[in-house]
Amino acid sequence: MPYSSESFKSFNPTGEIILALLIIGVLMILAIVVGILAKKADPTKKPRGLLLLVEWCVEKLDATVHETMGPGFENFGGLLLAIIPFLFLSFTIGITGLPTPMSNIAVPLTLALITFVLIHVTSIRYTRWRYFKRFIDPIPVFLPVNLISMWAPLISMTLRMFGNAIVGWVLISLLNSLLGNISSAIFSFAPAGLNSVFITPIVTPVFHAYFDLFSGFIQTMVFVFLTMLFIAQERPEDVETEVALATRKENHV
Amino acid sequence: MKDPLIAIAAGIAILSAGASSIGEGYLCGKAIEGMSRNPEMYGKLRSSMIIGCALVETCGIYSLLISILLLFVF
Repeated sequence: MPYSSESFKSFNPTGEIILALLIIGVLMILAIVVGILAKKADPTKKPRGLLLLVEWCVEKLDATVHETMGPGFENFGGLLLAIIPFLFLSFTIGITGLPTPMSNIAVPLTLALITFVLIHVTSIRYTRWRYFKRFIDPIPVFLPVNLISMWAPLISMTLRMFGNAIVGWVLISLLNSLLGNISSAIFSFAPAGLNSVFITPIVTPVFHAYFDLFSGFIQTMVFVFLTMLFIAQERPEDVETEVALATRKENHV
Repeated sequence: MKDPLIAIAAGIAILSAGASSIGEGYLCGKAIEGMSRNPEMYGKLRSSMIIGCALVETCGIYSLLISILLLFVF
């Protein structure tokens, strides 16, 4: 179908995409508020409230990035601070009963694509023209193998997030239908349609807490750590590259 | 009505989750062994253990996806 104004009018997003956009909007407003607060804040006084929380997060994140990735990635915390709240919110929004944005494969694919692009950009940044050598490593016969295995991080990261979200959704909906059937069998004296709601609200919160909160937290952490490790391993180990030297000089001056 | 063999196929596909859980248990046990040997490494070992667990878990998730696809697509 060619691009036209019709194809934009027929744009029909599913609930997951709308929720993802809503979360992005909320986080953008929050970011603007924090930015205004940070600009107005008096640097000689102690930060309070929201600003204190954000400053603590930034400090922790910078320490983690420095510990995990080493020198040359001093500004990397900004990306993570943008990705972490979105990931965590979009996993934990399932606790309200709304569909998790992660259960539409477009959302995790986009997030994994960010990491995938960054891996290759970092590789080009550090190795320049030697970047193309990674496709014929160690001998040119490995070219087709390398061309295929290059997509492995993208696919595995996408399917990990998508799989986790869809697992929680399937298990909770199976549990809901099971508990509904049990409840309507026990409370068969109640009017039909009403008798299936008695057991479900007592049992499911535990599973919601596990599959949405705990699993969401773990998956956020795993995605962030994998992003950091994948990108950090693109930096040559003992070669003191120009970029690392330049960033170090900037930081010292 | 669906072919009942599809349900059996989905059940066989999910069997690999058992293998991945064995691997996960082994990983956790080894990590805790290392933690008890030198407790000052606790933080580092915990984070790498969780990443390892997630990587191992991917295999189980793949098998679950395959079984879900078998159930819903065919």
